[in-house]
Amino acid sequence: MKRFIFLFAALLLTLSAAAQNGKSIYQKYSDEENVSAVYISPAMFRLIGKIPDVNTGDGEVNLSPIIRSLSGMYLINSENEKINGNLRAEAERFIKSGKYEMLMEAKDSGQTVRMYTVGNEKTVEGFVMLAAEAASVTFICLDGQMPRDEFETLMAKQMAD
Amino acid sequence: MKTLEEIENLSLEELERNALEAPVTVPDGLERRLRQALAAREIAEAARPRPVRRLVPLAAVAAAAAAAVVLLPQRGPKDSFDDPLLAYAEVEKAFQTISDKMSAGVDLAREAGSAAELPKSILNKTQSK
Repeated sequence: MKRFIFLFAALLLTLSAAAQNGKSIYQKYSDEENVSAVYISPAMFRLIGKIPDVNTGDGEVNLSPIIRSLSGMYLINSENEKINGNLRAEAERFIKSGKYEMLMEAKDSGQTVRMYTVGNEKTVEGFVMLAAEAASVTFICLDGQMPRDEFETLMAKQMAD
Repeated sequence: MKTLEEIENLSLEELERNALEAPVTVPDGLERRLRQALAAREIAEAARPRPVRRLVPLAAVAAAAAAAVVLLPQRGPKDSFDDPLLAYAEVEKAFQTISDKMSAGVDLAREAGSAAELPKSILNKTQSK
């Protein structure tokens, strides 16, 4: 019986670790105090794709093709110090379990920014940004089928600006 | 032979002493019956499935239940916007946040680059003299 309980607990732990993703993090923290959260569903992204002509603002960087290739977005911005540690730890666990590759890391005056992507040579299937400082944590998770060329061009333009 | 009343009036110690002093006759065939009972128990134990074998179906049921929880369609979070234009604007805002954070990193790299230039130029000047 003990063996069975151990086996069952191990199974549950494995499954809960595997189930860790942007959605589960969003669902866990989006209703907390001092947390602003945005979720955009695949259905909404399909609607965005049907908008005939989107004004991109300053016209310098056209985000439209990238945005249209997205299928989900989870954004959590927490200024709740009680949950910041857990949010950061869970996001890092999700990044490790999802085989994400680090794009960049910057540390300055106690602020750490890390960006990660996952996908293949041609497509970026996921992007995660985790920015943590003393009082706040920002977690952005984008899912989609972003052409890697376009994604990298966009990132390069952002860096050049 | 003691009457029932007499027996009831005896203390526990007296009852115990009387029982020990009384002659005990072993019923006929007791040993044989005990051996048979033990043998039957051993046979029954051997026929019973082993604990590990019993665990397999239980583990399978647990795995199936857990897999169902993970794989069955779950209710997702509610969309933050009903209007695709507002949603688009929010995605742009998220990209702006990403850009700002990235710029901070790039600025740091530039600062580090310009700091590295100073010893390089000093070295170049030294070598040219």
